[in-house]
Amino acid sequence: MTLRPVVALAIVMAIWPSDRLAAQDSQFGIRGLGTPGKWESVRARSAGGAFAPFDAFSPLMDASLADVRRMSASVTSGTSWRSIDAVSGAQTSLRGTRFPALVISGPLTGRISIGGGFTTYLDRSFGIITQDTIDLRGVPQPVTDEVTSDGAVTDLRLAAAVRIHRRLAVGAGFHLLTGSSRVIATRSFADSANYKTSTSRDEVAYEGQGASLSALVDLHADLRIAGWFRSDSKLRADVRGRTTEENDLPLTYGAGVLWRPGGQAILAGTVSWRNWASTGPGAGPNAHDTFNWSLGAELGSASSPIRFGVRGGRLAFGVGTTPTEVGYSAGLGRQFSGGRGRLDLGIERLERKGTGLTERVWTFLLGLTVRP
Amino acid sequence: MRRLALGFLLVAAACTEEATAPGDCPNFCPGGQIVVQDSIFTTIIERDSAFRGYVQVYQADAMTAADLPDVQSRALVVLSTMITRVAPKTGDTATVPIAVDSSRLRLKMVRRNRATTNLWLKLYALPTTTDSTASFASLDSYFGATPIDSVSIDDLLSRPLITDTATLRLWGDTIQTDSAGHVLQTADSAKVLTLFFDFDTLQAPFVVADSGRLGLGIRVTADSLASAAFATTESGSDAPSLLWFYHYTIPDTVSATPDSVAQASQLRTPKFDSFVFDPPIPALDDNLAVGGVPSARSLVRVAFPAFLRDSFDIVRATVILVPAVAALGLPADSFTVLARPIQTDLGAKSPLSLGSGGSVVVRPGSTDTVRIELTNLVRSWALDTTIATAFFLGQQPEATSFTEIRFYSSRAPAFRPALHLTYVKRFPFGEP
Repeated sequence: MTLRPVVALAIVMAIWPSDRLAAQDSQFGIRGLGTPGKWESVRARSAGGAFAPFDAFSPLMDASLADVRRMSASVTSGTSWRSIDAVSGAQTSLRGTRFPALVISGPLTGRISIGGGFTTYLDRSFGIITQDTIDLRGVPQPVTDEVTSDGAVTDLRLAAAVRIHRRLAVGAGFHLLTGSSRVIATRSFADSANYKTSTSRDEVAYEGQGASLSALVDLHADLRIAGWFRSDSKLRADVRGRTTEENDLPLTYGAGVLWRPGGQAILAGTVSWRNWASTGPGAGPNAHDTFNWSLGAELGSASSPIRFGVRGGRLAFGVGTTPTEVGYSAGLGRQFSGGRGRLDLGIERLERKGTGLTERVWTFLLGLTVRP
Repeated sequence: MRRLALGFLLVAAACTEEATAPGDCPNFCPGGQIVVQDSIFTTIIERDSAFRGYVQVYQADAMTAADLPDVQSRALVVLSTMITRVAPKTGDTATVPIAVDSSRLRLKMVRRNRATTNLWLKLYALPTTTDSTASFASLDSYFGATPIDSVSIDDLLSRPLITDTATLRLWGDTIQTDSAGHVLQTADSAKVLTLFFDFDTLQAPFVVADSGRLGLGIRVTADSLASAAFATTESGSDAPSLLWFYHYTIPDTVSATPDSVAQASQLRTPKFDSFVFDPPIPALDDNLAVGGVPSARSLVRVAFPAFLRDSFDIVRATVILVPAVAALGLPADSFTVLARPIQTDLGAKSPLSLGSGGSVVVRPGSTDTVRIELTNLVRSWALDTTIATAFFLGQQPEATSFTEIRFYSSRAPAFRPALHLTYVKRFPFGEP
C-alpha cells in the first residue's frame, strides 16, 4: 500500500467541516458551556487516557512533541452509540460520528520539534425535543419544540517542544479557540392549519485564546513523569456579530507517570484538574470543578500492542450534585509499511451519572498515524 | 492494508447522526425557551377606504333573479344578432332568406335557494335595445306583461329521469322533462340546473329588422324567498344560448325538379347579460364596503410594527372586522370575503398581487365579527420590507348579486379593524 492515499486521507480529515470535530456529546453539557473534549489519540484513549501526556499525538501536552523524530500526522475518529436514561423513565438512543483530533508534528532542529492540529475543546452538538400544551387565544394548544445545536468550540494548537536535557523536555503551545455551532429552534403546533411552524436559525461563533506549558522528565530509563498547565482566556460567543456571552475558561493542570516494567509492557497513570466552577455566569451553578484520573497499560510489541485502561472522575456540568464518569477501554494497534504507518483501534465504554440522568456510551475508535 | 484503508474511509463516510432526544427539562435543556406571545393590535390598521366600480354588473360571472321582501332582482339577456340570409351553394354569391321555425334557449342555473318551495322561473320579452343603462324601473313594465314561457323547477325536478339510449344520444345525458316540453339536466348533486326552453316563433319571434336580436328577462317566484343565479357570458361555456332552427330554399336552376329545402340551425350567445334590482345599494360611507354592484372593495393599510420584523416570528395572523350592519344578501346564500395582497399601494387602483391572502365565508343577515386568517401574508410582510403592508377586502365572486357587507373602519374607534397576531420571540441563541 502506498502512503499517498493515506496522506490524502489525513488531509481530508484536516479540512473536514468543523461541526464534525466534536469529541463526544453529552446531555450533561447542554446546560453548561458544552461537553469538554478528550484531548487524546486513539492510542491514549484505548488505555483510559493514561498515555495522553506521553503521547505526541494526543493534543494534551506539548512537551511530548519532543519525542517526534520524523514528520508525522495522526487523526482520530470515533463513532458513539449513546443511551440516555432519564429519571422520568424515558430512554433514548443516540449515535454520532466525530473526528475529535488531528495532530501534525515534526522536528525543526535536533532539539526542537513543532506541531499543531486541532481538537475539540467543547462540544456543542445536541438536539432536544419537548412537548407541552399552552393556552393560545383561549384554546389549549399542543406544541412541540425542537432545539438543535450542531457544532463545537475547536482548539487550534500551535506548539513547540525543546529537549533541554536528555532527561528533560519542555513544551509550550498557543491555542486559538474557534468554531461555531449552527443552532435551530423550532416550535410546531398541533393545529398546523392555523398556526405556522416557527423556526429560528442562527450561527453562534466562538472565540478565545489559550496557552499551555508542559514538561517531561525521565527520572529513570523506565520511569517518566509529566506535568502540564494550561490557561485560557474568556470564551466569547457571538451571534450576528454581537457578543451574547462571555465566560471564563478553566485553568487546567495535571500530572502523569509512565513506567516500563519490561520490554513489552508500559503502565501509565494520570490525574488532572480543571476549575470549571469559576467559568462565570453562563454556566452558573451547574458548573463544577473536575478531577479526573486514569490508569492504563500497553502490552506487547511496539508494532502490535494491546491496550486497556480505566478512567474516572467528575464532569464539568450538571444540575445538582457533580456528575461522575467511569470508563473502561481497550484497543490494539498495528504498524504497517515498515513503521511508516500505524492503525489504532479501540473501544470505550463510559457511564455518566448525575442528578436525574444516566448516560451510557459505547465508542468505537479508529486512529491513523502516518510518517511519510 | 488496502482493505483497512477502505474501512477507514467507510467509517469516515458513515457520519450518520441521531443527536435529538426528548428533553428532560429544565435540567437537561438549553437555558432559553421558545416564548409565544399573543396580542391584538387595535391601532395598526389605518388609512382604510372603500371604493366601488371594480366589476360592473354586466361583467359578472352570474346574474341574479330574486323575489324577496326587501329586494327584487331580475336577470336580463340580449342575444347576438342572427343571420337573415344564407348562400345556399358553395361558391355562389347569391343568397336566399332563411325562415326560422323555432328556437331553443339554454339557461344554466348555478345557484338557487334550495329551501325555497314552488320555485318558478318566468321568461319575458325585453326590448332588444336593452343595455347597461337599463334600470329596474325602466324594465319593470316588461316584467309586468305576460311571460313568454314559465317553468316550475320543483315540478321538473320531481319528474322521472329519462335514461333511454335515444335520449342519451340526443342530449348527452339523462334528462327530466315536463308536460310543456321543458328539459332539465342536473349536475353536481342537482346544485346546478341546465334548463332548455323550446320556443315557437310567437314566443321568440325572429325579426329580420332586428337582425334576429332577441331580448329576454328572467324572473323567479316562489312561495317565499325566491332567488336564483344564472351563468353569464363571463362564465364561459355555461353562458346562456339560443339555438335558432331555420330552413331555406335552394333554388334549382339546372334540373326540372322543384326547389329543395334545407334545414339548419345556428347558436347565438348573449351580446349583453346583466341584472337589475331594487332598491339600489346605498352609497359608500365611512365604513368598509365589500361586494355589491358594481363591486366594492376596501383597501386596508397596516402600519406594520418594526419590532415584529426584527425579533419575532409570526405564527398566526388574523384580521378582525366588525360588521357595521347586517350583511345584505340572498337568504341561505353565504358569500366569501377575500383579503388579497396588493403589489403596490396606489390607492383604489392598487394592483392585486398573486400572493396568498385569506378568506372567510359570511352568512347574509349576520352581524358576527368576521375573522380572516392572514398568516402567510403577514409573515411575508415581516420577511420582506419592500412589500406593501396593505390588502384589499373583496367579494368572491364579485358583482354576481347585490350581496354586500360593510365593516367598521378605523374611523370608528370602538369597532375599528384589528390585527390579532401570535408570534414567537427569537430564541436566545448563544446563551447556555
